[in-house]
Amino acid sequence: MKEQQKKNTEEILEMANHLKWDLGMGIHDKIVSSLYADAAQIARKTVSMDGDKPAFSLERKVDKVVTSRLLGFPIMFILLAVVFWVTISGANYPSGLLASLLVDTLHPILKNAADGVMPWWLSGVLVDGAYLAMAWVISVMLPPMAIFFPLFTLLEDLGYLPRVAFNMDSLFRKAGAHGKQALTMSMGFGCNAAGVIAARVIDSPRERLIAIITNNFSLCNGRWPTQILIATIFIGGMVSPFWAGIVSTGAVVGIAVLGIAFSLVVSWGLSKSVLKGEASTFSLELPPYRPPRIWQTLYTSLIDRTLFVLWRAVVFAIPAGIVIWLVSNITIDGVSLAEYFIDWSNPFAVVFGLNGVILLAYIIAIPANEIVIPTILMLTVLVTGMSGIGEGSGVMFELDSITSTEQILRAGGWTLLTGINLMLFSLLHNPCSTTIYTIYKETKSVKWTVVATLLPIVLGFMVCFFTAQLWYLFT
Amino acid sequence: MENPLVALILGLLGVGILVWVFWPKSGLLARFGKARMSSQRVLLEDTLKYLFDCEYKGIGCDLNSAAGNLNIGGDQMAKLLAHLKEMGLVVFEGHQIYLTDTGKSYALRIVRVHRIWERYLADETGVAQMDWHGEADIREHQLSLEEANKIAASMGNPAFDPHGDPIPSKEGQVPPFSGLTLNNLKEGEVAQIVHIEDEPHYIFEQLSAQGLYPGMQVYLLDVQKGKVTFAADGNECVLTPLFASAITVQSLPKAEPIQEGYQRLSDLQPNETATIVGLSSYCRGLQRRRLMDFGIVPGNTITAELESASRDPIGYRILGTTIAIRKDQANLIFINNIKKENHEQSA
Repeated sequence: MKEQQKKNTEEILEMANHLKWDLGMGIHDKIVSSLYADAAQIARKTVSMDGDKPAFSLERKVDKVVTSRLLGFPIMFILLAVVFWVTISGANYPSGLLASLLVDTLHPILKNAADGVMPWWLSGVLVDGAYLAMAWVISVMLPPMAIFFPLFTLLEDLGYLPRVAFNMDSLFRKAGAHGKQALTMSMGFGCNAAGVIAARVIDSPRERLIAIITNNFSLCNGRWPTQILIATIFIGGMVSPFWAGIVSTGAVVGIAVLGIAFSLVVSWGLSKSVLKGEASTFSLELPPYRPPRIWQTLYTSLIDRTLFVLWRAVVFAIPAGIVIWLVSNITIDGVSLAEYFIDWSNPFAVVFGLNGVILLAYIIAIPANEIVIPTILMLTVLVTGMSGIGEGSGVMFELDSITSTEQILRAGGWTLLTGINLMLFSLLHNPCSTTIYTIYKETKSVKWTVVATLLPIVLGFMVCFFTAQLWYLFT
Repeated sequence: MENPLVALILGLLGVGILVWVFWPKSGLLARFGKARMSSQRVLLEDTLKYLFDCEYKGIGCDLNSAAGNLNIGGDQMAKLLAHLKEMGLVVFEGHQIYLTDTGKSYALRIVRVHRIWERYLADETGVAQMDWHGEADIREHQLSLEEANKIAASMGNPAFDPHGDPIPSKEGQVPPFSGLTLNNLKEGEVAQIVHIEDEPHYIFEQLSAQGLYPGMQVYLLDVQKGKVTFAADGNECVLTPLFASAITVQSLPKAEPIQEGYQRLSDLQPNETATIVGLSSYCRGLQRRRLMDFGIVPGNTITAELESASRDPIGYRILGTTIAIRKDQANLIFINNIKKENHEQSA
């Protein structure tokens, strides 16, 4: 029976092949055309229209303004700047509140309670390591994302974002990418993992991979505070206090713009080399403007984007917290693993104008860029053996005053070069583990995940190397 | 490293080596990959393919033409043919060489894999048109028939390769060679291009550059010594007989010649409306399916509506929605019947 069926199938396929040869090449086009012709005929009989709705002509007027040569780009930059400003200034207060609740208040309570019932090392691993890392990630990550994502989703819902992609397309076309990459890039300024997920809107395989691989060049939320802190200390510190604010802001914006430049150049390189053979298409729908559904937007952007990304970050932060605590507390002959690594990697790190502390911090703080600075501070205190600062080995901390942070870093041997290179390295290093995992989930390919992970870090080491060596040459 | 100058030089050297190894096409890795290719089996299979091609087109073939086609010496070709004869794949009759039945089915397998791979490159990847033939020439020796069958099944068992050649069926059948070359068409005859020969390369490149592709209607205007003049989809073209002979056409005795040349969608000015008449076959695969999904099919009307801030892409209104299309795509969409649209009045 099965045999017979198989034979029939083969026969039918063979016959189909012969018919296709007779019909020639255009048959598929003819089928699609006739489907549309039939559909149009049915629609003519059954659908009645009374001309264009008045809303349509209003929409065209709005479109003419937001895509005009004169106003298109200024409107776009102002809107995006407003979104970022609202996010950064609006997140400050809730972030502080969460930090004081989770880190300053709850952490000592938990620590005391745990010390009463379990050995010191267990309470260290669980409370100082796992809990603290998680608390840190939540308090720094949640507020900006909870503000940024709903705002972004509102713009999307309104129908404005497709117009941004429409305006930006010619720039991205020259880089071999899709105009919608402007959107995933902007999303990346909020969170790279979310930016990678957002690349789903690009339906062309090649351009989607490009958007995913280059998303890490958008300076994400977790890296802005690092950039601002280091720029204030080292670059703002170079000039008179009057100029300090402007100069350090300029440095941070410069790094972000450098990231955009890298993302375009790398997009171009990828589309011309390794991704050359991937299929590529362009399509962009310009949907009509709609009044945004505010409650639905709030709900979906909080649940789908914010909590989803936060959950992944927390899952990765817990083991990292444990590792951070362990490497600074497991000692051999009285010297911790962290110190061994730092001493061993220091000569290598100096070639790149960095130091062993920074390298170790970027390795163990891979789950979230937010905990890099607390880890660096903790490790510096550990290595320099300063007393009276911080909370003990393996316990991440941050200081309220920038001056005392500067004192710690200077004591750790930091110079202007270390500051500059940390800023560069913070822009150009592997994505956080949440993003790496998300890239794997989205591409389902180990190869592209590895490329997306290694490409930025190789670039970062190259850029830091040349900066450092030129610096050494001229000083 | 004490001296930054030395370090800088070493660093630059390191980057240089990386580039040298990984550079696509001419880098060390790419060259290594290419060098592994030309083995004995490849030459044997290429010979079989050539012999099949000659028999299919009814051209006689001997040792010299085969050696010339494969670009190897006569001695080496004689050895190859002797080997093939030993394997029972070819027979000699005087100077003429013929395939045996086994030889023919072997050759058909290679041809099937080659043409399926070309179809695959054309429809499912972004590999440039000029590179299809070369890539398929390599893949035909690496891919097994089963793998090729799977690829064909996933594409809906295509019947033609992108040059218009029929793909041999699984059972090893091909339709008989039909059609004539363009230089043999008579004045006033209407025909359709069914095939453009992809070898030699420079001719194919030239014909592609002229915008000729399988599926076009040709209407022969004038044949003179050294010059063939014809209208391809309404636009006049002139070729030498050598170039014209690379184009195979099938005559369409009943068809009306297309009088008016098409214009391209990229010619449409804002607020103008036109009727779509077709999509160039250069627009293929995913891109073609996507445009057709939007309603870019012959017969539909399309209006240029919105220029982006940087002029490219342009938003077009079709079937009640607005979609943005880049200029290089709009170049591949043919329209006619352009009219000035006045929205304010109709509203």
